[in-house]
Amino acid sequence: MAEYLVLGAETSTLGDFLFYLISFIVLVVLVKHFAWGPVMKMMDARSAKITDDLEYADSEREKAEKMVEEREMALKNSRSEAVEIVSTAKENGENQRKAIVDAAHLDAEAVRQKAQEDAKQAKIDAMNDVREDVTDISVSIASKLIQKELSANDQKSLVDSYIKELSADETK
Amino acid sequence: MNENYPIVELLGIRFNVANCLSGLLAAVLVFILVFALSRKVEMKPGKAQNFLEWMMDFTNGIVKSAIPGNEGRTFYLYAFVMFLFIFVSNQIGLFLQITVHGQPIIKSPTASPLVTMALALITLLLSHYYGVKKYGIGDYLGSYIKPVGFLLPINLIEEFTNFMTLSLRLYGNIFAGEILLALIGSMAHSFGIATFIGVMPIEMIWQGFSVFIGSIQAYVFTTLSMVYISHKLERE
Repeated sequence: MAEYLVLGAETSTLGDFLFYLISFIVLVVLVKHFAWGPVMKMMDARSAKITDDLEYADSEREKAEKMVEEREMALKNSRSEAVEIVSTAKENGENQRKAIVDAAHLDAEAVRQKAQEDAKQAKIDAMNDVREDVTDISVSIASKLIQKELSANDQKSLVDSYIKELSADETK
Repeated sequence: MNENYPIVELLGIRFNVANCLSGLLAAVLVFILVFALSRKVEMKPGKAQNFLEWMMDFTNGIVKSAIPGNEGRTFYLYAFVMFLFIFVSNQIGLFLQITVHGQPIIKSPTASPLVTMALALITLLLSHYYGVKKYGIGDYLGSYIKPVGFLLPINLIEEFTNFMTLSLRLYGNIFAGEILLALIGSMAHSFGIATFIGVMPIEMIWQGFSVFIGSIQAYVFTTLSMVYISHKLERE
């Protein structure tokens, strides 16, 4: 062993040094090329991807929250809009109903008035007819009375019969 | 644990075949491990990728505790490879020791002080390089006479002791473990089948403990490497 530690004596110092230096450097280069480089690159890529993913998730979450807010707002708006629509529709319906009812009232009034007028007219016509008839009858009764003397009873029954006739005429 | 290592001379430089081969084996094992674990790199990691990422996070944590912030990113890869290499090196000798013609070929590379010194040297060179790179050569040299000038020799010695302790701690732990392993092994063979069976549990216990020591030492080496580098990068 002492032989080793005496540098430059009958030893293989320099050769071994060189051999290890060169083989170590070659090993480092090979490991770097075949294993270290790709794996290190992948590890860096992975850490970058994780960071990206986290950021992406954050931004997505924010976006989703904003969207939810928007939806809620829109929902609220649509609800009030619906209420408005319904109330407008109700109002419209009410108005329409009132208009229809009013029109009906007017119509009914007109019809009633016309009927009243018609009835009045009919009554007047009838009265005129009756008047004429009564005149005629009175004339004929008078003529009959004049033609023959009648008892009070006969007279009464005669008048009754004429009146009956008259009323039968009127109902005709 | 004999001293009779096969030596090869190439271009006037001598190579210890055992150290080089077992170091190469450790490097190849580390590469096969991470290569196999990183075949399917996906955004959603599978079992293999999870395991690899767990190891990377572990060594990254070592670096972060010494050099916090973005500055440490430079050393993540270095710490990762250094940790795995030393860990595998520590474990190789526990289950694989090949001897040819009485000369060991494969053993724990870190059971040799030369190897651990080479590894510590890499750390030290890196720490000085990044120190100079960050503060410039004048400021870097100036740090040796801070807070007062007469501390210069102490600061220089500190650099040296850092290097020595870093390398020899690792070497001592693994070397001692292997020696004890070999001693227990030779005890098993001393009186035939009886001792073989009797000693086997002891061998297993020591092997398990050595696995533990090897892991701890790999962790300590990586941690201290980062601490020494951070000393060069941070000023009080």
